[in-house]
Amino acid sequence: MDQPAIATESLTRRFGEFIAVQDVNLRVEAGQFFGFLGPNGAGKSTTIKMLTGLLAPTSGSIRILDFDLNERPIEVKRQIGVVPEDMALFGRLTGSEYLNFVGRMYGLDRETASRRTAELLDFMQLADNPKKLVMDYSHGMQKKIAMAAAVIHGPKVLFLDEPFEGVDAVASGTLKAMLQRMISHGATIFLTSHVLEIVERLCSHVAIIHKGRLVAQGSLEELRAGVQAQAAPANDNGDNLSSAQKLTLEEIFLRIVGGSQSAQEELSWLG
Amino acid sequence: MDRLSALAAMRWQMFRHSIETVRGRLELLSRILVGLLFTLLAVGGAIGYGAAAWYFVSRGHTQYLAFLLWPILLFWQIFPIMASAFSESPDSSYLLRFPLSYQSYFLVRIFYGLLDPASFVGGFWLIGMTLGVGVAAPVLLPGAAVVLFVFGMFNVLFTQMIFIWVEKWLVQRRTREIIGVLFFLLFMSIQFIGPLANHYGHGARIAVAQIATRLSTSQQFFPPGASANAIAGMQSLEWHSSLASFLLLSGYAAIVFWLLSIRFRAQYRGENLSETGGHEKSKTTKQAPRAGWSVLGAPGPIAATFEKEIRYLARSGPLLFSLAVPLIMLVFFRVQGTGNHAGFFARSPSLVFPIGAAYALLLLTNLSYNTFGGDTGGGVQFFFAAPVRLRDVLIAKNLAHTFVFAVDVLVIWLGVWLLYQRPVIYVTLLTLAAALFVLPVDFVAGNVFSIYSPKKANPGKFRQQRAAQVTVLASFALRALLLGLVALVVWLCREYGNPWLAGLILLLLAGCAFAGYAALLGRTEKLALERREVLIAELGRK
Repeated sequence: MDQPAIATESLTRRFGEFIAVQDVNLRVEAGQFFGFLGPNGAGKSTTIKMLTGLLAPTSGSIRILDFDLNERPIEVKRQIGVVPEDMALFGRLTGSEYLNFVGRMYGLDRETASRRTAELLDFMQLADNPKKLVMDYSHGMQKKIAMAAAVIHGPKVLFLDEPFEGVDAVASGTLKAMLQRMISHGATIFLTSHVLEIVERLCSHVAIIHKGRLVAQGSLEELRAGVQAQAAPANDNGDNLSSAQKLTLEEIFLRIVGGSQSAQEELSWLG
Repeated sequence: MDRLSALAAMRWQMFRHSIETVRGRLELLSRILVGLLFTLLAVGGAIGYGAAAWYFVSRGHTQYLAFLLWPILLFWQIFPIMASAFSESPDSSYLLRFPLSYQSYFLVRIFYGLLDPASFVGGFWLIGMTLGVGVAAPVLLPGAAVVLFVFGMFNVLFTQMIFIWVEKWLVQRRTREIIGVLFFLLFMSIQFIGPLANHYGHGARIAVAQIATRLSTSQQFFPPGASANAIAGMQSLEWHSSLASFLLLSGYAAIVFWLLSIRFRAQYRGENLSETGGHEKSKTTKQAPRAGWSVLGAPGPIAATFEKEIRYLARSGPLLFSLAVPLIMLVFFRVQGTGNHAGFFARSPSLVFPIGAAYALLLLTNLSYNTFGGDTGGGVQFFFAAPVRLRDVLIAKNLAHTFVFAVDVLVIWLGVWLLYQRPVIYVTLLTLAAALFVLPVDFVAGNVFSIYSPKKANPGKFRQQRAAQVTVLASFALRALLLGLVALVVWLCREYGNPWLAGLILLLLAGCAFAGYAALLGRTEKLALERREVLIAELGRK
């Protein structure tokens, strides 16, 4: 059996008394487009930070492409690309300077870094403002340059924390096409997003974290089947979930992490 | 008023949260220590100024108060530039999100200006002077208090006005270059004063003295002279003259207020200054990206980080400006006096270059002791996410700081040559040997402090570049120790009649320092990895 692209074992992270992530056992196979979901504060960003070496786990282990992240961090980082939550940009560089810089930090020679920079700027439609500093980019442009930086070295595993947040429909389409293409070339993508429609459309496999614990993991069909199986006894009590009904990811998510509270009785002053 | 008190409450809560950690408490302790030092300077100066003011007024030389007010004005304006490691102004852009009226915004900004050490010390000195005048002639107290209050407000507004306008001019390359050329021309012209005076001897001194007399007469049309005249007019009951001088002073304050409010209003409206501002934004020309720099055969990550650091520096007007401060100081001390009234530098020109180099080292504090401070906006995360060893990043940053220091020292050397005399070879070589010893030790400490107490800095803003106060104090203590050791070595070798031996000893010390630097890089890297969360959280904070 092939080694998974990402595997964690009892991954735990504490902040003082607070346990942000507890005993998470993730398994992402190579070539999967993997969605990592959870409500706000569930532990998504903490997990992705641990997986990318930005945060040390309190306990547990992480293996990426069969390298132990703790023992071989440089080898792991060479194989992965990251778009963290706040994008890790250097605002006082221009787009091309930034991509060149990132390429060379990831071990590309000067010529290759320069060539790929030109290609990526063209692809992301960012080549028109060569003198514009990254700090002056719009939020969507910053997302695109962060994404370009994450792929400049051709990573085998890509970690994306909310990659489509603030990106317009045109750019979003460009990014999705690029990601699908990477998947077709055998890369693995690990993505967190609050936009469940995007995850449903892109991802073949999903994991859901809630209050620091992994509460579901598998393909979309497996999750759907699991929720329907759980809901089956409830049918006898009047729940109108039929086995023929195909649940959306949003419905699956809400059933797993619990429904939303009604705001009607509260915040009455909002009018 | 409710909004202002809400802001005060917010800052109080932020302060309370900031002292919940050991680092925060250390920072507070350092601030208290620095505060005590400034209080000592403020109170001591106030007593001195009070006594001097009492003396002038009681002897009927009230117009001589101008001699006291000029140094106060110069201190108020120059100290924030000279001691940028102690000057800080909170970022006020966050205020714009609140429904704050322009008047409230203006008041908050002025209040931030009052928090500056120069305002605190200068204000105290003015209070001392007011009391001195009051004791000498109680009848003058109310009038002197009003005049000196307006003079104080003029200074508060003036220093903010200078910074805010220079900041605007330095943000874009074109205006930055114009300022650079103007500064160069000024620098080149001032260098002729001393040599001319020395070359043409006594006759020239008389001419200089005549110019000085004329300047002395014309100084009454400037704020310090106008303030002194306003008070003197009250004493001699020349009300018209007094009122005219006071109106002149108020006019200066009003002009500065107006100029300042132009910039404040622009910022209040959400102005966003940037390198690519103005017409350049509309340019849409595609250019093939240039390949990155190659730095003396250094590995890619080191060369790339070095390039990034230099590009950051080149785009940071205030940082560039702070590097020019040693030159400004050289000019300032050069024009201070000639002949019998010559200052220390003019009397001991051989010491100007080493002192200038030491000062350049001090000005490096905000860069080298808060080396990740400018990597805000998530930038610092990149160094931990990328497949590079952090030691390479630190080496690159230290190389960039060495480069900056070397350029600054070269400029100082040329400045000393032009303004004083060519630094003697022996002193130059000894200074360079001392730098080779001091820099590696300084970088080790700087790297550790950068990791232990990082502080978010904005390279594009004056007074938002300061390292943590505890870091600044520690760096000054270390430099005092290192430079003291250098001075001791040089002095001992001279005493024992073998001055060149000092160079050899300093080179040996430099060798040890380099070995120590190399040996400690690994440990520093480990420390950085252990504290990466603090670094990322502190520098990534919105």
